[in-house]
Amino acid sequence: MSRQGTDPGLDEIRRARDEAGPVPRKGVGPVAWFDIRHRGLGQFAFSLNRITGLGLVFYLYLHLAVLSTLLRGEEAWDSFLGIATTRFFLLLDVLLIFGLLAHGLNGLRLALVGSGRVVDHQKAFYRSIQVIGTIVLLGAALHLLGSE
Amino acid sequence: MAARTTSTPAPAGSRSRTWAWTAGTGVALLVLLTIHMVAHHFVVEEIGGLRTYQDVLNYIGNPVIFVIESAFLVVVTIHAMLGLRSVLFDFGLSGHAKRLVDRALTVLGVATVAYGFVLIGVLASRA
Repeated sequence: MSRQGTDPGLDEIRRARDEAGPVPRKGVGPVAWFDIRHRGLGQFAFSLNRITGLGLVFYLYLHLAVLSTLLRGEEAWDSFLGIATTRFFLLLDVLLIFGLLAHGLNGLRLALVGSGRVVDHQKAFYRSIQVIGTIVLLGAALHLLGSE
Repeated sequence: MAARTTSTPAPAGSRSRTWAWTAGTGVALLVLLTIHMVAHHFVVEEIGGLRTYQDVLNYIGNPVIFVIESAFLVVVTIHAMLGLRSVLFDFGLSGHAKRLVDRALTVLGVATVAYGFVLIGVLASRA
C-alpha cells in the first residue's frame, strides 16, 4: 500500500523537500502550538521546540542576571551557591537539561528535514533522538543529584 | 478591490536566509553548548558542578575559554533573537510591525552581547 495520502503532513513535507528552508506546518500561531489534536509527530515536535525555545530564552536572561552576582564579589557568589546547590535548584538544572536536549536534538532534526535530509526517515530519526536524549538526561540527572 | 490582510508574508529569499541562520547557529550551539555545559557542570567536583568564585575567575581568565565563551555568547544570542522573531511573526503581524520587531530584536541582541562581553571582560580582568 502506498504511503502517499496516509498522512497529509508527510505529503506536504515531501513537496517542501526540494526547497531549502523551513518546513511548512499545518497551523500557525501560538494557539496552534498547544493544539496537538489530529496532528502528526512533526507538529508535536514543532510545538515542543517552540515552547522549550521560549523557556530557554527566559533562562538566557536569568543566567545573565545570576552571573551578574559575580561582579559583586566572592561573598555574593558564595551566597548564590548556597541556594543553587539545594535539591530544588538541582532539580531545576535537570529540567534545564531536559529543555536543552529536547530543543537541541529536535532542532537538529528540523534542520536536517528542512534541508531535505532524512525526510523519509524522520519518524525513526525522531525516535532515535528520543532514546539518545533520555539516556543523556538520565546520566546528567544522576550526576547532578548524586553530587549532593 | 483586494481585501487587506493583517499578515504580510516575508519574501521567500528572506525566509530561507533567516532559516539558514537559525539552523546554522543551532548546529554551532550543539557544539558550543556541549562544551559550556560539560565545563560548568560535569568536570567540577563541587555540588551541582558549580565553580567557586576563584575557580570561575581562573576559568574565564584562560584565553581559550574566553574565546569559546565569547563565541557562545554571540551565537546563542543570534539564535535566541531569530527564534523570538519566528515566534512573534507567528502572530500574523503586518509588514510595519515586522520591521519594528526586527529593529527591537536587533537592539535587544546587541545590548545582550554588549552586556555579556562586559561581564566576561570584567571577570577575566580579575583573574
